[in-house]
Amino acid sequence: MFSLGALSFAAPVALLALAAVPVLWWLLRVIPPAPKRVRFPAIRLIMRLVNPEESSAKTPLWLTLLRIALILMVIIGAAHPILNAQNSVIASGPLVLVVDDDWAAARNWQARQRSMGQLLDRAQRDGRPVAVVTTSPGEARSRAADSLMTADAAREVVQALEPKPWPADRLAAAALIDALAANPAIGKSAQVMWLSNGLDAGSANEFSKHLATLGSVTVLSEDAGNLPALMMPPTSERNGLTLHARRPTTGTGDELKIQVRDDRGGVLARKTMNFESGKTSGDLALELPVELRNRIATIEAEDQKTAGSMVLVDERWRRRPVGIIAGVDRKSDQPLLDDIYYLERALDPFTEVRTGVLADLLKREVAMLIVPDTGRLGDADRTQIETWLSKGGFVLRFAGPRLAQSADALLPVRLRQGDRDLGGALSWAKPASLAPFDETSPFHGLTIAGDIRIRRQVLAQPTVDLGEKTWARLADGTPLVTAEKRGDGWLVFVHTTASPDWSNLPLSGLFVGMLQNLVQLSRGIAGNADDRLLTPLQTVDGFGRLGTVRAGARAMRGNAFEETPVGPDHPPGFYGDESARRAFNLAPKIGSLEPIAALQSDVVRGSYEEATERDVRGGLLMTALILALIDIVASLFLRGFFNFTRNVTAGIALLLIGFAAHDAAAQINVAPPALPRAADEDTRAFAPSLTVRLAYYKTGDSSIDARSRAGLSGLSFIANTRTAAELGEPIGIDPATDDLSFFPLIYWPLSDSAPALNAQIGERINRYMKSGGTILFDTRDGDGASQASARLQDMGRFLDLPPLMAIPSDHILTKSYYLLRDLPGRFTGGRVWVERDGLKANDGVSSIIVGPNDWASAWAMDESKKPIYPTVPGGEKQREQAYRFGVNLIMYALTGNYKGDQVHLPSIMERLGQ
Amino acid sequence: MAVAPNHELHERAAALSANLPPLMVAADRVASTVAQGMHGRRRVGQGESFWQYRHYEWGDPIKSIDWRRSGKSDLVYLRENEWEAAQSVWLWCDSSPSMDYTSLRKLPSKKDRAQLLTLALGSLLIRGGEHIAALGRHMRPTMGRTALFLMAQALAETHSQTGIASLPPFEPLPRYGRVVLISDFLEPLDDLRRAIGLLADRGVDGYVLQVLDPSETDLPFTGRTRFEGMEKEGNALIGRVEGVREDYRATLSEHQQGLKDIARVSGWNYGLHITDRPAEEALLRLFVSLGIAREHNNV
Repeated sequence: MFSLGALSFAAPVALLALAAVPVLWWLLRVIPPAPKRVRFPAIRLIMRLVNPEESSAKTPLWLTLLRIALILMVIIGAAHPILNAQNSVIASGPLVLVVDDDWAAARNWQARQRSMGQLLDRAQRDGRPVAVVTTSPGEARSRAADSLMTADAAREVVQALEPKPWPADRLAAAALIDALAANPAIGKSAQVMWLSNGLDAGSANEFSKHLATLGSVTVLSEDAGNLPALMMPPTSERNGLTLHARRPTTGTGDELKIQVRDDRGGVLARKTMNFESGKTSGDLALELPVELRNRIATIEAEDQKTAGSMVLVDERWRRRPVGIIAGVDRKSDQPLLDDIYYLERALDPFTEVRTGVLADLLKREVAMLIVPDTGRLGDADRTQIETWLSKGGFVLRFAGPRLAQSADALLPVRLRQGDRDLGGALSWAKPASLAPFDETSPFHGLTIAGDIRIRRQVLAQPTVDLGEKTWARLADGTPLVTAEKRGDGWLVFVHTTASPDWSNLPLSGLFVGMLQNLVQLSRGIAGNADDRLLTPLQTVDGFGRLGTVRAGARAMRGNAFEETPVGPDHPPGFYGDESARRAFNLAPKIGSLEPIAALQSDVVRGSYEEATERDVRGGLLMTALILALIDIVASLFLRGFFNFTRNVTAGIALLLIGFAAHDAAAQINVAPPALPRAADEDTRAFAPSLTVRLAYYKTGDSSIDARSRAGLSGLSFIANTRTAAELGEPIGIDPATDDLSFFPLIYWPLSDSAPALNAQIGERINRYMKSGGTILFDTRDGDGASQASARLQDMGRFLDLPPLMAIPSDHILTKSYYLLRDLPGRFTGGRVWVERDGLKANDGVSSIIVGPNDWASAWAMDESKKPIYPTVPGGEKQREQAYRFGVNLIMYALTGNYKGDQVHLPSIMERLGQ
Repeated sequence: MAVAPNHELHERAAALSANLPPLMVAADRVASTVAQGMHGRRRVGQGESFWQYRHYEWGDPIKSIDWRRSGKSDLVYLRENEWEAAQSVWLWCDSSPSMDYTSLRKLPSKKDRAQLLTLALGSLLIRGGEHIAALGRHMRPTMGRTALFLMAQALAETHSQTGIASLPPFEPLPRYGRVVLISDFLEPLDDLRRAIGLLADRGVDGYVLQVLDPSETDLPFTGRTRFEGMEKEGNALIGRVEGVREDYRATLSEHQQGLKDIARVSGWNYGLHITDRPAEEALLRLFVSLGIAREHNNV
């Protein structure tokens, strides 16, 4: 094998023929081309001419060059050139494939599979044994393969490999390598290919040393730009979430396209995060309405598709609306003395606070209801709260002077009349501090600042179960927070005020922490149940897809989430049950995200993006053949065989060259030449703007499109003959590319084969409808009971559809030109829907009309203006009615509600007359 | 003409007549275009139409009395037609192989054009009441639609016969006959002079129309070219045709001048028609030229 740069020749002997090329050149230049032969009547005149010069006896230079190129192609083709031949260095000994099959490898898994396939191909060709070692801990026992196998067997193993949603453990794999090294069949002769994930993880160098004991080592890794990024758990903010991500390198221009999805995979938001150059981490503020925010289940980087590029979001990141009941006379002159002021300040950072009267609050979803000291609750209010409580509500009450005077029944404990004053002027006692929280208390774990003092409280009647009901108590043992389960809900009572009147608790951070814990509780998350075993609910696979629980995943204690490593026993995913699930994410468990740094000097580095071997012989010989064809045509041309048909020749030549370019492109796989832009683009753009035309939506189904076209063409003809409208030929449009704004009316047949809408097209159509366009959706099924209606619903997801109503008998459509009773098409009797009256957009003209009557078929005409399709149930009367509907529709689209105004004319005239 | 088996004659006649109508139609179309263009020049009373009434005089044949006119008054009138002796025109169209040439597919061959012009001229002359005949076939000049048909047949027959000389044939024409010769006239000048001289010596008035293909005037070929004659004249190899183009033009115009001189010596007119020009143009010129000549002769 002989090679020149990237080009190698399998049969280099043929290149010797190149020496003959100069001789050929000389020969081609010397031998003159045959003269053209022309039959000519005036030959006598020509014969009288003295012929002064005998030039042009040589072949034209371009033809010579063409022929030389042809010969060169043939010679080089015969030498069988191969581009990027990779087996230039033929390795011997067994092949050891070391594969990082962890989360980070998922980013470029295809390339890995390809590389492994190629390596195995070569090993098979050379008959070398293969060993496969994977570095991730996992259920695949292939990593235990310390024995050698055939390439075929290895291929099966390799094809079954898939990336795992946890990090690799190279040091554990190193033990396997050592075991392999002990195998006498390997010795030190192996060719080790390490298909790494490109990340150092602190162990790459160490690992490569182990690999080097087997033989020569080649490490394949991604380019720095293609290494995987990590999506970190977001942090809650007042208005939303802040997303965090990390990347391995600090290059510029990196961006992550981020998708935020809900439980069912629906996309809630799409954002692009730009990494600042020089930084490995990026932040992105995500503002979402509370309702949407609470639905977030996953946040993922769109094009990465690894377990690390997605983060699961559970209740901890949700904001829960909290309602605070305020009296009607809520305008306080002194906000600093108001309970509500302190509650709002404490709750605002992590929840949405709504303040209002009870009835208003309960109209919307509220996670928790706070009742500050408003005195006696009305009976009606109390029943309402109790009902809500029993359905799972969470009510937090605060004591206060008014409650102390008149306690009601909506309390977890019975109260003593009056309040207890600690450290007041009439008391010997000092203001009390808080006792540490019990382990069973939801507040357990909060630190109690030493300077919190409760000066006044209301006291509970001692009962047997008072201790159980108490969640927080003062140093002297009197309860500060008591709670009782009522129905499915909780009723919690704080024995002091939410304002600093009775204590400085509302001024402390503890107050915020306590409220936060309570809000958590309001969703049924018992903070103290943390040591429960949470079973896996859904787990993430290696490609970052949330799905069924992975085999081997085990339950985890609720309080062990922080320290449990991600691995085969505990893959990332949701744990718990549907009502309370916790996210277990991979990203926080991953330490450094550095690319593999320098390795030992004898380790060869490579990348997955290496060009693959390509045989160019076929392409060269094909080109030579095409050149030969061109040469034949050119020779014939020069000899005058084509002189009467010059244009034809040019055409053929162009065609041949076109084929040549195309074939060459296909063969050599260069980028195909850019398709010439349609020269009639301008005409296309002008066509709809210079005349008024109807348009139809091109479904892509040629029979439907032909029908729409014939239908609108027929309708235009009818309208042109009967009315003052002058319509041009209809045009088929594709809303993705064409400008819709020129068309007053778009006929849109629904078809199953039509391409699905997407948000962008939907946006264009919405704009069209908003700016005054009208679309006639035709389900074409006669009774509206087929798939088409489902398709319409499907489209509705992207369209901004106004509320619709069945068309009333006095709608303008029934009288804009003809007076019509029903609106038949090919079918009759189907219900037609229009925009509901009273929507003042577009001057009252309905932007959409939906019906099943297959109008285009009724309107369709052939060349001789004869109808094409029969009407059902039939009769030309129905067709005439269909035409009339069409004319009405055009008038409606063109003139709007003008006829609607006419309706009022008599009364206007009457008034003017008087 | 050789005696041909009956069925062969029939076949040939059928084949010929199949070709005739389109050509005649085309010729009629061209002719009518020109006739309309000539409308203002036509003189009243030409042909067999009514010219005047005059009083009966002694010796007038009774047959010529117009009884209808005479019955309207006391006098007896004769109906007199303006009866000018019709001219006889002999037409000749070159059908040699060298005429069967066109340089571009969209142009008609010289032969097609020459035949079209011949027939159209014939049609036009017949409308004018003249007699026509094909030269070299010893035909009596006739008039009317039949004459045109005979003319077309003659053309078609020569069309089918090869080996016809590219020189006009001699025929003892009556004095004051008129001859129209349509050909490319690329024969040597001496031959032409002899052939035309023979006709002119009979005192026949004539018109020479040279029909050429555009490539024959411009020689648009390039490069190394071997020219081959169409009537076995031999061939010539030119190294660079573009180099001799000017010389060729000079030669051609020399030849044309020679032809003009021959015509002038005989008192004939000369015209040139290139096949990329419309046929009507040549026909108009031809017709005007004939008309002027006739006026000149008559006066």
